[in-house]
Amino acid sequence: MPQSMTVRVQRPDGRPIRIWIPMLPVLLVCSPVVLLAVLVAAVACLAYRVSVVRALGTGWRVVCALPGTRVDVEQRRTAVLVTIR
Amino acid sequence: MNEQRKDILDMLAEGKITAEEAEQLIAALERDQPPGASSLGTRPKNRAKYLRVVVDTVENGEPGRVNVRVPLQLLRAGVRLAALIPPQALGEANAGLNKSGVPFDLTQLKPEQLEALVEHLDEMTVEVDQPDAKVRVFCE
Repeated sequence: MPQSMTVRVQRPDGRPIRIWIPMLPVLLVCSPVVLLAVLVAAVACLAYRVSVVRALGTGWRVVCALPGTRVDVEQRRTAVLVTIR
Repeated sequence: MNEQRKDILDMLAEGKITAEEAEQLIAALERDQPPGASSLGTRPKNRAKYLRVVVDTVENGEPGRVNVRVPLQLLRAGVRLAALIPPQALGEANAGLNKSGVPFDLTQLKPEQLEALVEHLDEMTVEVDQPDAKVRVFCE
């Protein structure tokens, strides 16, 4: 499971903004929303006759595979870097 | 077996060289080989962990760069997620593809085939070179 996410934005004036987001506290704060999303996903699975357990398991696997993802975009003097650890 | 090593052993069998000379020749052969080449067949090769997409562009004289690193594990998980797409959605996607002139049947694409594709991605490198853009897709 991802432990943290780092967002780094380099503004045109050269000043960087770095935001470090710890995933566990964010997940705890957003847990009601996450729970609601899981329930909606479960209902959607039942509506489309897809195994709820299999779908949730696969979704969890996708979340667990996120660490190591890195997206780096530079354009002129602006740059955005997103890293998931 | 390595061809040169086989030649040495043949020469030894034919009595052209002594066992000591054969040993020296094989030792020299191993020294000349690049590191890891001698055990290539026995050691599992280093598996790639990430898919990299690097795009370098020049727009109005200003350079731009997109550098994306995606874990291959995420692709594998995504393939499993794709296997959960309901048949009616695949049917609609097929109809859309047909309308766009791409007669491709997505229902024939099995998750095992996609997983095999992801497994062999580490041997793939795509490079596109244009005057104003360069795209590289590879695994590392």
